[in-house]
Amino acid sequence: MTDEELDPLIHVPTRLKIVATLAALPAGDALSFTRLQDLLRLTPGNLIIHLRKLEDADYIKSEKTSNGTVSITKVALTGRGRAALGTYTRALRDLLGGLDEDETADYARRRT
Amino acid sequence: MNHTPDTATAGNGGSFDPQQAAILLDEATVQARRTFTPGPPLLWVYRAVFVLVALGGYWLSVRGRDPYSAPSGGLVAVIFAGVAINIGWSTWALKRAGAGVTGPAQRKRRAWNLGMLVVWAAAFAFTVPLYHAPASHPVWALYPASAPLMIVGLVAAASSAALKEWRMAGTTLAIGIVAAAAGFGGPAGAWLIMAIGLSAVCLGTAAFKLWEQDRSVVGP
Repeated sequence: MTDEELDPLIHVPTRLKIVATLAALPAGDALSFTRLQDLLRLTPGNLIIHLRKLEDADYIKSEKTSNGTVSITKVALTGRGRAALGTYTRALRDLLGGLDEDETADYARRRT
Repeated sequence: MNHTPDTATAGNGGSFDPQQAAILLDEATVQARRTFTPGPPLLWVYRAVFVLVALGGYWLSVRGRDPYSAPSGGLVAVIFAGVAINIGWSTWALKRAGAGVTGPAQRKRRAWNLGMLVVWAAAFAFTVPLYHAPASHPVWALYPASAPLMIVGLVAAASSAALKEWRMAGTTLAIGIVAAAAGFGGPAGAWLIMAIGLSAVCLGTAAFKLWEQDRSVVGP
């Protein structure tokens, strides 16, 4: 397997962080845009661009609610997005399984 | 609007190889798990130390007393202070974990917490009529040590299992079993069994939560 087989929509640092963060929530739960922005330390414009790409692929869904004065945008991972992250994770695992001993040791060292 | 190039190198300023991706995926997942976990491991360690000190102190205070009598006012004050810290820390951790999060799992968790609060209040409230009734010393001493946590633990375990919250069901079932076992320890010994048993359950839960939060999703 080569890294070309990794889902290009997820294989981008910012989008990988977005998807991993949303995947930590129970299925069906959503996170507010501002909390997600705080957690990932992104500018609103940058986050919007990446969310739009994920939403176009049906990996996430966003919903805007308003009580008249304040509007809140909530973002949630879809079933398709959760499945895509699972496939991506398995592909990464397969790729890393093919590393030689030095590369594996380097990965373990960098992780800690 | 900002322009972000849609390439694998976006945001990193260099190549984004599978090793970097695996590290980033692990880091983001661990950070998210820590953020969204309502009962952090450190809180469980605090609970382990608190129950060992408070209930162990209770046992030291009442053992060998014949007839049985209540522990010193100082110890009771320490226990109340410890419980207050636990409530404050737990509330803060719950609010932090749930900030900005909405959905069915959140609603279920809030409803469950509210239900358990009612069960706690009811189980402990029963000690008041027991105190005012002409209950024997062994009964009066044994009930608060064993019964409330046995009731709360078993109700929590059953309701968690019904909701398929297996981790919570395991922890609360262990609490219920320790409390039930304490019932066989006598008026003083019950407190020692509770101190050691509950502390072990809390430490075990802390260790499990730490492992669960920090385990890798990609690597070994």
